[in-house]
Amino acid sequence: MSNLQRDKLTDRIERLEGHAREVRIRIVDMIYKAQSGHPGSALSAADILAALYFDIMNIDPSNPRWEERDRFVLSKGHGCPVLYACLALRNYFPLHELDTLRKFESILQGHPVKQKTPGVDMTTGSLGHGLSIGLGMALDGKLTGKDYFTYVLIGDGELDEGQNWEAAATASKYHLNHLIAIIDINRLQMDGFTDEVMPKYSIAEKFRAFNWEVLEMDGHDMTDIVLTLEKVRLAKRNKPVCIAADTVKGKGVSFMENIRVWHGKAPNEQEYRSAMLELKGEN
Amino acid sequence: MKLRQAVIPTRQAFSERMVEYGSINTDFAVFEADIGYSTYTYLFGQKFPERYFNMGIAESNMVSAAAGMAAEGRTVVVSSYGVFLSMRAAEAVRTYVCYPDLNVKFLSSHGGVTAAIDGVTHQATEDIAIMSTFPNMKVLCPADSPSAMKLLDLALETPGPVFVRLMRDPLFDVYSEEYEFRIGGSHILVEGDDVTIIAYGDMVMQALNAAEELGNGGISAEVIDMYSQKPIDKETLLKSVKKTGAVLVVENHQKKNGLGYAVPHYLAKIDECVPFAHLGLDDVFAESGDYYQVIDKYGISSRHITEEVQTLIKRKKG
Ligand SMILES: Cc1ncc(C[n+]2csc(CCOP(=O)(O)OP(=O)(O)O)c2C)c(N)n1
Ligand SMILES: [Mg+2]
Repeated sequence: MSNLQRDKLTDRIERLEGHAREVRIRIVDMIYKAQSGHPGSALSAADILAALYFDIMNIDPSNPRWEERDRFVLSKGHGCPVLYACLALRNYFPLHELDTLRKFESILQGHPVKQKTPGVDMTTGSLGHGLSIGLGMALDGKLTGKDYFTYVLIGDGELDEGQNWEAAATASKYHLNHLIAIIDINRLQMDGFTDEVMPKYSIAEKFRAFNWEVLEMDGHDMTDIVLTLEKVRLAKRNKPVCIAADTVKGKGVSFMENIRVWHGKAPNEQEYRSAMLELKGEN
Repeated sequence: MKLRQAVIPTRQAFSERMVEYGSINTDFAVFEADIGYSTYTYLFGQKFPERYFNMGIAESNMVSAAAGMAAEGRTVVVSSYGVFLSMRAAEAVRTYVCYPDLNVKFLSSHGGVTAAIDGVTHQATEDIAIMSTFPNMKVLCPADSPSAMKLLDLALETPGPVFVRLMRDPLFDVYSEEYEFRIGGSHILVEGDDVTIIAYGDMVMQALNAAEELGNGGISAEVIDMYSQKPIDKETLLKSVKKTGAVLVVENHQKKNGLGYAVPHYLAKIDECVPFAHLGLDDVFAESGDYYQVIDKYGISSRHITEEVQTLIKRKKG
């Protein structure tokens, strides 16, 4: 890398880190206003989604159904505040809609709904279906000769659903090299640590056994995220790709990090204030 | 019938009773699918760790595994949300639990749109239709915490598969200790002469409110809590309908194949053809939002019952 390239990368990373911070602020804010939702799950994926929506993905917010666009499926649908924040900040819909999360007649349902929210490519919320959905989208891309990428973000707990492995086998059979599964490995699911609820062993090894190409990245290091995601787009291969992302549930709000109860609980007023102070870097 | 503000949701009451019952019946096991802090089965896990199995987020596997354990002679309580039990695991429930008629009991939370805020993916609005279609399955829907606790005992003491539909949020309590519950039973909560209102689960509260309002307008409504969805209490139903000559079923469920299909089917078969009305989800998915706003938009709140009864009464002969 030349100095110029390095400087450019630094700028790009700083810009994306700024977006990720803004996404986190919106996540906490909307869940606080809804008094319902899953902050830990959303925060865990904030850096990855910021990189995808503000840099990596080929999308056009003014044309959410553009046929050539890259597809994104939030298989862990309960984490949707992170997706809603990215979409709003990219102008798919007005920012003030975020205040209506989970409320009556909102475009922002408790779990993502394709026909209600501009920019949501597919309805999710029942875990374990996203990879199959991405598989179908990627197969269609092959069939129509389009070269868009399909990204599927999957929770580590979610991998308990056996259907993931049915999808993994099929994606490999059809050499879906534009299907990219990103696993949000935060080591927590709803009832506790994955090791206690259902040990995952090596997620990377499991996907390798299904003949996927597997990369590992730090899901909170923006440089690592961007370089990994970029590498995946550029390299030639004939298999689907799994990115095993090492993450922290609740990342960015210290009192939420790695704590089970923040899976699906809204902050109270005091918690909200201290989370905001921390995210805005004012303490 | 006095309504009391509920302190805990029925899912919690059911699980708390399950912990007590764990000392009475020391054999049964509990399977959970990673929502134990939501269904409150974690309480059972704390008291009886050796009989509590967290099967991960894998509902179909969990139900088939429960079938395996039940085939060995041990009763298993399987816990999850209604959407996942009735759909994700449906074939395991039908072919491996109901067909061999095994002792598997389903603790099924988030029945109807009581999980309003989570949205459609978490609202079990077809569960009664699916579960009551399986031969050998019995289906129970407690309206409040006291009845949820009684129905835990009943589910465990009844041979074969039993599905119990529970709710996400605390709404109201209506029963006191003295009430008894049985498979195929129901309770007349308010006696009346002009119309029979049949409800279950959270709709009992709406029916009671409607009955009060109707009473103020001079219409005497009988309210039946049909907590046993399958089998239904034909005797009480028939007696009531013979007296009132009109019947309305209200349910937090799709109209299609719900209780509102079972009731007139039975009455028509015995030529007891009275004016009939049915409130429920009318072939639509609901949405996220405040529970009371959602039930009102989808036509199952007390004001809809009141209005519907007023038209129904006019259809009565004589
Ligand atoms: C099929 C299904 N079963 C259960 C649930 C309830 N549920 C929602 S989130 C969750 C835990 C998810 O853990 P993980 O996949 O690790 O996601 P994280 O929140 O940690 O990112 C569960 C069990 C669901 N939504 N879908
Ligand atoms: Mg996780």
